[in-house]
Amino acid sequence: MIEKNSNTPIVRLSSVTKIYKQGRMEVKAVDALTLAIGKGEFSALCGPSGSGKTTTLNLIGALDIPDSGDVMLEDRNLRDLSRTELSRLRRDRIGFVFQAYNLVQVLTAYENAEFVLNLQGVPRAERKERTMALLKEVGLEGMENRRPDELSGGQQQRVAIARAIAPEPAIVLADEPTANVDSATAGALLDLMEKLNQEKGVTFLFSTHDERVMRRAKRIMTMRDGKLVGDEAKN
Amino acid sequence: MLFTMTWRNLSRRKRRTLISAFTVAGGVFFSVAFTATGDYAYTNMINTSATMGFGHVTVEPEGYNLSPTLQKRIGGANAIREKALKIEGVTDAIVRITGQAMFASAAKSVGGVFIAVDPSQESPENNIYLRSMVEGSMLDKTDGRQVVVGWKMAKKMNLRVGKKLVYTTTDINGEIVSEVGRISGIFKTGVDAVDGSIALIPIDKMRSILHYGPDEATLVSVFIDDQRFAGQMRDVIASSLAMKGVDILTWSQTQADMAGIIAIDRRMNYLSQFLVGLVIAAGILNTMFMSVLERKREFGIMMAVGMTPGRLFRLVLLESFWLGLLGVIMGALITIPAYIYMSNIGIDLSSLVEDGADVGGVLIDPIMKYRLYKQSVAAILSGVFALTILAGLYPAFKAGRVAPVENLKIV
Repeated sequence: MIEKNSNTPIVRLSSVTKIYKQGRMEVKAVDALTLAIGKGEFSALCGPSGSGKTTTLNLIGALDIPDSGDVMLEDRNLRDLSRTELSRLRRDRIGFVFQAYNLVQVLTAYENAEFVLNLQGVPRAERKERTMALLKEVGLEGMENRRPDELSGGQQQRVAIARAIAPEPAIVLADEPTANVDSATAGALLDLMEKLNQEKGVTFLFSTHDERVMRRAKRIMTMRDGKLVGDEAKN
Repeated sequence: MLFTMTWRNLSRRKRRTLISAFTVAGGVFFSVAFTATGDYAYTNMINTSATMGFGHVTVEPEGYNLSPTLQKRIGGANAIREKALKIEGVTDAIVRITGQAMFASAAKSVGGVFIAVDPSQESPENNIYLRSMVEGSMLDKTDGRQVVVGWKMAKKMNLRVGKKLVYTTTDINGEIVSEVGRISGIFKTGVDAVDGSIALIPIDKMRSILHYGPDEATLVSVFIDDQRFAGQMRDVIASSLAMKGVDILTWSQTQADMAGIIAIDRRMNYLSQFLVGLVIAAGILNTMFMSVLERKREFGIMMAVGMTPGRLFRLVLLESFWLGLLGVIMGALITIPAYIYMSNIGIDLSSLVEDGADVGGVLIDPIMKYRLYKQSVAAILSGVFALTILAGLYPAFKAGRVAPVENLKIV
């Protein structure tokens, strides 16, 4: 079980800058960003499109490397890790929930949910027990054998959440997780993630401009032009 | 999981997978066609050539091959034969005397080659003239006056069975010697050059004319069960005989012209197979590469959630593996019926091959047939399979190099 609501930072960004080239232009997607995310947080990065939310999530999620500054995940500097080590770090310590669900289309709901456990080499029996429990928890009991194209958007996102939390990661990064679903489904998904945060202590960091997410988040970090322009904790 | 994913990925695009597998299957089919026709034709030519006088391996006097003369001879020929027959893999050994002679009838004289034989050692399997008899009968004594000639020589010299023939040659002292024979039989191999110049004469008769000892001959023709191992058998025979003053040569040394033609043809065959292989490899490479490009986003997802580049590489390579295996199995299924037909019946190319067409004096079989050695089967299947895997290496490498953050943006 993940330790709940500790103040120990899981993620620390120190003066992180990420520049993208667009033709001859250089765009600072993230500009000297410094922030920390503590264990058990249920926080959100907000801001308009192009403010650097997704880039920040990608940097924290070891999907991208900063041009300057350091990204530390559980005291490990991502810059020091090889491609394979970064893959293993993502596998073991980071969960991802994407806007477009991003399930593997040839795998069933069960296989998608157990995907990371499989990569970790968890024994079959244990994998089955944990995956079935997770699918039950996210409300997909009885749908284990369905392929993604046989599930609704909300159901696919539930599978993605199950996949993300299956390896008991240090943090779940959710990039616009409610953007592609209707209000009722969005509410149900947020209920689920909130429950996982409160009951299991799973740390969530959202990138969103969805009001519903912002209302539920306990901490709102606002970005504009790659900079953190607001950081508000709710009671 | 990799196993499940690879199969499902392949079944995701069934038509493309089947087309690719058929490409591999086609490779198996054409490789078998090239190799099996070659194996049949070469084996047929080599074995036929062996039965024309020299065998697969020849024991002969030192230097005889480069400078054949009747003064050069080997003693203890029958002891050599006996020793050779005891070697595993040797199916027969025959003592013979060969040399040049002038043949004359009442009508005409022609130059030719005689092969003096012991009829008791000869068999149709190892003597092409014996199995090509069209008139009369084979020699039945070792010291009689019988002579067997080719039909072309008989025609040129106006000979028939029972007619007289005078043959003249030089003995061991270099003296001209001659003898009168009587035609007992006529053979027809189909090669004009052979049928117009060869005559078979009883060996003891020839020994007495040439003043050879009773156990002297110019060669012992050794036949083996598999012509491909002539080189190894030569070495085994050489060490078994442990004789000085003899050369032990393979068919490729005694039939250098034919060996050269076979070698060139074999290389052309390999080149054709290589080109077929390239086409297969290009097909597989294209399929796998397209498959990787189409799934860049999916690979990005898998890498994002923790799949290592190495594992992704293995995933794509495993797809090549299954594609190769599927193709090889399909190839075997479409090739086996063709193989059965071609190895038993074949295709008659008589209308394309001139009568009497030969390679190095060996008649070309106008029936195109298949023959495959076990080693060739293994080489084809493993070669085509390996080619498929090789063709999958680059796409697999590219898949492993996918940058997750870039590929997650692909819609």
